[in-house]
Amino acid sequence: MARTQTRQDEQQKAERRLPDDELKRALYLLKLCRYFDERMETLYRQGKLPGAIYSGRGQEGTHIGVVLPLGPDDSLFPTHRDLSAQIAKGLDLKRIMAQFWGRIDGYTRGRDGNSHIGDWYGNKTWTVMSHLPIAYPVAVGAAWSYQRRGEPHVAMAICGDGATSNGRWHESLNWSAVYRLPVVWVVNNNLYAYSTPNKLEFPVPTIAERAAAYGMPGVRVDGSDVLAVEAAAREAVERARAGGGPTLIESVSLRWKGHAGHDPAKYVPKELLEEYMRDKDPVKNFEAYLLAEGVISEQDVADLQAKIEKEFDEGYEFAQASPYPEPQDFAKGLWVEDGYWTSEPGRDGGTEAP
Amino acid sequence: MSQTQTTRLEKQKTEQVEAGAAGHGAEPRGKRTEDGQATYLVAIAEALWEEMERDDRVYMLGEDIGVYGGAFKVTEGFYERFGAERVIDTPIAEETIVGVAIGSAMEGFRPVAEFQYSDFMTSGFDEISTALARVHYRSGVPLPVVLRGPSGGMVRASSFHSINPEPWFAYSGGIKIVCPAFPADAKGLLKSAIRDDNPVMFLEHKWIYRRIREQVPEDPDFLIPIGVADVKREGDDVSIVTYGAMVHRALEAAQALEGEGISAEVVDLRSVVPLDEETVLRSIEKTSRAVVLSESYRTVGIGAEVASTIAEKAFEHLDAPVVRLSPPNVPVPFSPTLEDAFLPGVNDIVAEVKKLSAW
Repeated sequence: MARTQTRQDEQQKAERRLPDDELKRALYLLKLCRYFDERMETLYRQGKLPGAIYSGRGQEGTHIGVVLPLGPDDSLFPTHRDLSAQIAKGLDLKRIMAQFWGRIDGYTRGRDGNSHIGDWYGNKTWTVMSHLPIAYPVAVGAAWSYQRRGEPHVAMAICGDGATSNGRWHESLNWSAVYRLPVVWVVNNNLYAYSTPNKLEFPVPTIAERAAAYGMPGVRVDGSDVLAVEAAAREAVERARAGGGPTLIESVSLRWKGHAGHDPAKYVPKELLEEYMRDKDPVKNFEAYLLAEGVISEQDVADLQAKIEKEFDEGYEFAQASPYPEPQDFAKGLWVEDGYWTSEPGRDGGTEAP
Repeated sequence: MSQTQTTRLEKQKTEQVEAGAAGHGAEPRGKRTEDGQATYLVAIAEALWEEMERDDRVYMLGEDIGVYGGAFKVTEGFYERFGAERVIDTPIAEETIVGVAIGSAMEGFRPVAEFQYSDFMTSGFDEISTALARVHYRSGVPLPVVLRGPSGGMVRASSFHSINPEPWFAYSGGIKIVCPAFPADAKGLLKSAIRDDNPVMFLEHKWIYRRIREQVPEDPDFLIPIGVADVKREGDDVSIVTYGAMVHRALEAAQALEGEGISAEVVDLRSVVPLDEETVLRSIEKTSRAVVLSESYRTVGIGAEVASTIAEKAFEHLDAPVVRLSPPNVPVPFSPTLEDAFLPGVNDIVAEVKKLSAW
């Protein structure tokens, strides 16, 4: 009951901030990311998708919620789990899918695959690396740059619960607090680091309380509630912009699927998964809430779904039509002076759409 | 106090200074001499100073580099001139030092990160070999980052303050690695490194810092291109291919060999990534014999790479096997007798060259 009360408070707070069109946009992103994740898994299981998939299903509330308060000049440093956050930041579904199929129009021009993606020049997102949390220290550097130039921008980094065990997580929080940098640290606590549960990753009740040790605010939110996440993220982003320094946000949900496509995740108790899928589905819950509030109608939902499916199909067609990179180019792009990233396709800077 | 005692004390003091922070005896870096000569350390400081003056995007970060002026005093006076915004004293967090350099380079800055000793680059290994080395290839975002730090032994600094880290990072790909032996080279190459749009690791041999001085150009645009070797001594009979402090041992050995009628050529690689194969192979074509001398370890070291390149590409010019002269893959020992035995000495070089000449 207490939690429901809290949620209503959060919603009221959030409603004051978010006009209807933004609520609708949040629903669009939630549903788009869910649909994308499901369709890509199907294609993977049909053997139609090369490489790997890292599903973020069940965590869309975290991914969309933290990105909503970010502007185009704010930077995002996500992981492979956080493709939904990159979609929310503005990445183009067509080029994302070209990346999954190893095509030249993918954001990495076939140099990497799946959600190891990023678009620094277009949407200010880091091209994901696997060694987590490798981008946390990099986010410190981006935040330092904004502070040095007196710009009101914010860097946001996301990692999972497992990455909080790594030294870099602690180095980065510490450094950002020492220099009071404009950065928001997000931990997508989906309860499992591959197969390792929270209790084998940290001995304290929550990750959020670790913030106190670094002298920054820490907040724990329900990751299934996109508005609660958004409210926490907005407060953190505004604090950072105003020179108030870093914040740690722990957003809790469950990873519905395995670590990657091959992993059936039998280590997750069945009852826990059922509970989350039944009661804590961030997409279903938000849709029901907007219907109940009269922000959208059943027809709107149907229209939205049709739009999303069309977008996916167009992305798929685009990806299949996009050429493979030239095999002999595999070593190009290592050095700046070889000119590969400033040559066609792509304008100066390299990661712009052709 | 006897003469011997005084000499011993002076020697101890010199060694402490060379050992930097570990020796608790760092002294001011000093200036050029009246006739315009600069030590290697002064030349490096000049390069940093000039590039900081030239380009506001250039900034420095590292441990104890600001108020204290750095463990070896390379950055002394910078904090006073450029301020805390551009000369940043960092927490002892090497992964994050590299990460901050990367993040700020992505935002358009040109960071120069100092490692107190290049030994501690391994504390930032993942951010260097995974992140720094691979960002551009995968995303097209240039990273004009310089990582600099003192490397090498010969100063009784033992296992954790004497490493030659270049083979670890040469393997990564995507990072240029510069190892100069002379003050003018150090200055011209460091300025090129700071102006380079790629990541560059700049390894300063700590034995050379205060020991070698020479005339160094004062032109603020004096640059030496990265990836070009330099023949430091011409010779006809044997090529000694080397870099870093070993260049000085090679030159000493060549001098000694001259007295015995053997003409040795000394090729200073100056950078190990990229490797100037052309200059090396041209020398072998002339001499037909090669000693590859390196302070990095023998097995999977830089010497192994250079030797196999010669064997592969200059086979028809060789009159003798290519010889590697490098320390074994053993931690750098402390005791003078042990370290001297561990490192290739002038006598070892002379002996190898003589053996080769007998072919």
